[in-house]
Amino acid sequence: MNNIAIQATHLTRRFGKFTAVDDVSFSLPYGSIFGFLGANGAGKSTTIRMLCGILAPSSGTGQVGGFDVSTQPEQIKTAIGYVSQRFSLYSDLTVMENLSFYGQIYGLTNSRLHERIEEILKLTGLDQFRHRLSSDLSGGWKQRLAIANAILHQPKIIFLDEPTAGIDPISRRSIWELLYQLADSGVALFVTTHYMEEAERCNTIAFISAGKILKIGTPSGLKHEIKGQLLQVECSPLMKASQVFAKLPGVSGLTVYGTTLNLNVKDIEKAKEEVSLSAQRNGIQVVAMNSIEASLEDVFSLLDTGAKV
Amino acid sequence: MQNILAIIYKEVIHILRDRKTLVMVILMPLMQVMIYGYGVNTDVRHLRTYVYDQDQSYLSRRLIDAFVRSDYFKIEKKVHSLKDVREGLDRGKASAAIIIPAGFTADILKKKGSPLQMLIDGTDSTPANVALNSSQAIVSTFMQEQGLVQVPVLPVDFRPRLWYNPDLKSTFFMLPGLIALVLQLIVPMITASAIVREKERGNIEQLLVTPIKPYQLILGKITPYVVIGIVIASTILLAMHFIFQVPIRGNIITLFALTLVYLIVCLGIGLWASTISENQQQASQIVMFFAMPSILLSGFIFPRETMPMWVQYIGNFIPMTYFLKIVRGIILKGMGFIDLIDQVWPLLLMAAVVIIFSINRFGKRIA
Repeated sequence: MNNIAIQATHLTRRFGKFTAVDDVSFSLPYGSIFGFLGANGAGKSTTIRMLCGILAPSSGTGQVGGFDVSTQPEQIKTAIGYVSQRFSLYSDLTVMENLSFYGQIYGLTNSRLHERIEEILKLTGLDQFRHRLSSDLSGGWKQRLAIANAILHQPKIIFLDEPTAGIDPISRRSIWELLYQLADSGVALFVTTHYMEEAERCNTIAFISAGKILKIGTPSGLKHEIKGQLLQVECSPLMKASQVFAKLPGVSGLTVYGTTLNLNVKDIEKAKEEVSLSAQRNGIQVVAMNSIEASLEDVFSLLDTGAKV
Repeated sequence: MQNILAIIYKEVIHILRDRKTLVMVILMPLMQVMIYGYGVNTDVRHLRTYVYDQDQSYLSRRLIDAFVRSDYFKIEKKVHSLKDVREGLDRGKASAAIIIPAGFTADILKKKGSPLQMLIDGTDSTPANVALNSSQAIVSTFMQEQGLVQVPVLPVDFRPRLWYNPDLKSTFFMLPGLIALVLQLIVPMITASAIVREKERGNIEQLLVTPIKPYQLILGKITPYVVIGIVIASTILLAMHFIFQVPIRGNIITLFALTLVYLIVCLGIGLWASTISENQQQASQIVMFFAMPSILLSGFIFPRETMPMWVQYIGNFIPMTYFLKIVRGIILKGMGFIDLIDQVWPLLLMAAVVIIFSINRFGKRIA
């Protein structure tokens, strides 16, 4: 059996002269989590909309659950679950009413519908709130309801568009546990997010900027790729140092982290020399200088600045 | 089918939980019937009238009596100077004044002929016209009754009769028309906001990725509002019949069948408004924009016959124009389907056009 849940091949979408998604290709097997990272307006939502079959690609092809996005959008819609960026269920309906409405839309009936709702309520912990209006749920529970809703008809592929935006860390963690459970049961998850620590949890991540995928790989692989390119400098005065160091020829990017500066550099040894020299010249006191392991956020900002140049 | 039922059920929950709309839907028709039944009464009766009787004689008293008996005039006050008369009219305390000169009876009996003055406040043309016409009739009848003029034998014995509404009660005319008005005011509004609400709250985004089809969504969403429309029409019908004794002479099934056609037009307007607006406020503005000309140009209050041709022509494109003739025709005249065919086919045509057009637009908006 084919193990590929989502296959995008040169997927492109243009709106007039503007190219929102430019030649995007990737594939995602069942049972894994794909993290789609990018700034707002980078093309994440447009990609999702094409893969969900509600927006036709201008060129390229996409296969979701074995169905073609351009020619079989109706089949795709029954095969996938979708959790949108903002809460888009009915706020004046209760948890049960929402689930039973969407269950029916997906073709579940009577006893099967009941069975599935009970299963889902237990799985998501929404059991206790079954008769509460969804507008009265907290942000985290609302999002669980949205997920519950998306998995009611047991899709093998789920799209989640920033599922944890604006949700407290504890709820976020428990939502991710739920996502892991789903992945374990063989579901493919396509997740967009802004949170780097969430990206770390994905099996594969892709960075998209201005419609193009810049990098794709496993989180550790991507971090490894820019190893030796990140220099952490502890110094004072910090703000002056950040202005001075940013102008050094060997420094391509700079981020302030509390009392330290993280410099993106080409050559770590050369950069160390440049930094100490310019520190002396400008009366900056350098306490420590170390080559450090990159975080995904560093990867992200490095890629993003690289893309703009 | 299951999809449509699921949406209907969900929509009913929305409606039942939205108390404000629910109250409006129930109370507004009743309120309108009360307002138009009691308040907007164009029947002119009991005009406040001042009398300045300088003669105080047998015939002058009989004349005043004739005015009072006509029911059109009510003697508000007997005054004793022209200054009082002027003051009464100027300050709006009187709408009319009868001024009888001294020597009224004597001059008449001497066959000399006597002047008789009537002053009428012409500010509002409707009561002024009534006062003018009725006073002339009253005086001429008075002269005949008193034997002051010879009643000639007329070559043509002209006897006009009023049919359908012999007492010329304005409630007979206004209240059936209310069915057309209230449906036009409420139905497009609630339909449009029900659909736009889904857009505003992002629900539509979720529905898009489900297997539901646009036509199922539309059918499911508008069906409850068809029911609401029928409830509104029934409320008005019952209230006007039992509170204001408006007779229902025609076939009630024909009435409801044609009301359904009109409802579809109204729903279509709401649907169309929802496709071109981003929020509920915009939708209600668009709906109101169409309601105003409908009320004024359809013949709901002002007769279309008095409007210039080009305005009447515009009226031909207003669904309410046709439905007004239908409700009034069925309720007051007992007209049947065949009698109303000239009104029915334009309405059917409009229903078809508006529904096809807006479903098409709606489908495109969604895609």
